[in-house]
Amino acid sequence: MNNMIKYNTWIAILGFLTLMGLGAWVYQLVNGLGVTAMNNVVSWGLYIIMFMFLVGLSAGGLIVSSSATVFDIPAYKVVAKPAIILSTVCITVAGVFIMVDLGGGVFRVYNLLIHPQFKSPLMWDVVVINSYMIINIAYLYYMTREDPPQKIMKTLSRIALPIAILVHSVTAWIFGLQIARAGWHSALMAPLFVASALDSGLALLLMTLLLMKKFTDYKIENKLITSLAGLMVTCCIVDAYFVFSEMITMYYPGEEADMIIFKEMISGSTAPFFWGEVILGFFIPIGILLFGKNREKSNLVFLSSALIFIGVLCKRIWLLLTSFIHPNVEGAPGVTTGHFSQGTYPIHMWAIKGTYFPTMIEFIIVIGMLAMGTLIFSILARNILLSSPQKKMISQETRHEVGVEVNS
Amino acid sequence: MTKKLGIVIDLKRCTGCTTCANACKMQNNVPMGMLWNRVLTEGGEEYDTSAGVYPNLQKSFLPIACQHCENAACVKACPVGATYKDEVGRVLIDYDRCIGCRYCMAACPFNARTFNWKAPVREPGFNYGDKDVPVRKVGVMEKCSMCKERTDKGLEPMCVKCCPARARKFGDLNDPESEVSYLVREKNGQQLLAEKGTKPQVYYLR
Repeated sequence: MNNMIKYNTWIAILGFLTLMGLGAWVYQLVNGLGVTAMNNVVSWGLYIIMFMFLVGLSAGGLIVSSSATVFDIPAYKVVAKPAIILSTVCITVAGVFIMVDLGGGVFRVYNLLIHPQFKSPLMWDVVVINSYMIINIAYLYYMTREDPPQKIMKTLSRIALPIAILVHSVTAWIFGLQIARAGWHSALMAPLFVASALDSGLALLLMTLLLMKKFTDYKIENKLITSLAGLMVTCCIVDAYFVFSEMITMYYPGEEADMIIFKEMISGSTAPFFWGEVILGFFIPIGILLFGKNREKSNLVFLSSALIFIGVLCKRIWLLLTSFIHPNVEGAPGVTTGHFSQGTYPIHMWAIKGTYFPTMIEFIIVIGMLAMGTLIFSILARNILLSSPQKKMISQETRHEVGVEVNS
Repeated sequence: MTKKLGIVIDLKRCTGCTTCANACKMQNNVPMGMLWNRVLTEGGEEYDTSAGVYPNLQKSFLPIACQHCENAACVKACPVGATYKDEVGRVLIDYDRCIGCRYCMAACPFNARTFNWKAPVREPGFNYGDKDVPVRKVGVMEKCSMCKERTDKGLEPMCVKCCPARARKFGDLNDPESEVSYLVREKNGQQLLAEKGTKPQVYYLR
């Protein structure tokens, strides 16, 4: 009973935040993207950061659950269900963030269906993310059935694994294929996205499992946590290696366009996020989890997961914003921001350097949409994971009754 | 042979008067807070300031708008084909099709594009542009169309017509006899950010 009250309070809080977020979104739909801090210089902001981040987060779940089937790792099959729920929710919310970011609101999205232009990496992303979402849902559906059909599960997981890799690569190519932004244009972008998707995704999965273990009746072995933590730290090291490789390639030749970005990241306005990632996201968690003994301690695993999670969020921030700061063609008075308020001097419409700090509306929408994701996860997890023993009992009873009827 | 319209700007003639920027704004009904065509002061800290240390000072201006690239990054980036290259070589936008994703804006190396973040504000409060120019709504991208409505009729773009120093020339880059082709060929016309490989159709004479 006590649990029920806790659960209901939790749902009520999330529901309230979700409604607040939806309200803010309606406000933005009515007034246009002018209510955000985005402008003609920094034309993408918090929404696209959250989109990249959530696409990455959904990786951990799907890759763990599908590799359980593909490579036949029975230990991972235990967490396959929470993993796949997590991954489905993350990719759905990521899609919602794209909708939130569209200037035409949700009203002109149908153009994506009737006028697709397949030279655009954004269109590739629409295709792979939708396929990914469908596979996730199908996977979830078959997995939660009484007896999962093994053949379908195997086929699905074999499609799911490459598509999961593709989703992160295509999301990276949205940035990596653009020649206009020196900080994005890199062949390493796709592998870098896959690596950081894996470590942040596993971090989210581990945090969720540990939280569920603590606050609900959900049971999970410590051995599995240790093994997943090992996988996470491996991915984290690969991620750190890629970032280092990218940075040295930028720095060594000393090319002007690259050096502007490099300086901005090392000591400029995005430096807190860059060093945030390096210290919080790489050094501390790797330092902790490199030792096998630490991987056995739940508290340390949780702390490291949280740090990796924050670290990857920092990476999304510096990766997106640094390249927007300096226009390629420099000169005063700069670029028109596209913002105008009555009674200001025309000089206020100019910007030599891009600046961006999210407005309250952006924060409320982001919090609301994340709350919505958590809400969906909580409801799905409760119905699929926690009440399953009861369900089994009920279904056994009904079977028994049916059996009796047949017998009589 | 198909046309490839282009503009040549003689920077030695440019005085930085911004008449082109204002002519463009009037012709194309560009709302407050944005310009399709802007004039930058090269090297100086603020508009109309000199670069260098006294007495070795230099002052030059760089008018910049859409470069109507042959290999346009924005055209490839648009997921719905709202930005397109037309048959005479102009990069244009279908305002009804634009979904406002702003990928083209991230893709453009010249920061030539400008977005309607809010419902457009005009001072004075009416549409002051050419009657043939479509009015853009909130949430769509816009930028220099090389005065499509004028050039369709065989007229010059407004910035070219209004330049008091006659620094701007307009014509067909595919026609070797045209004035623009002559200037690019004989006066060493240079493209902005040529190393990016977008092949701009706006050339500068230095």
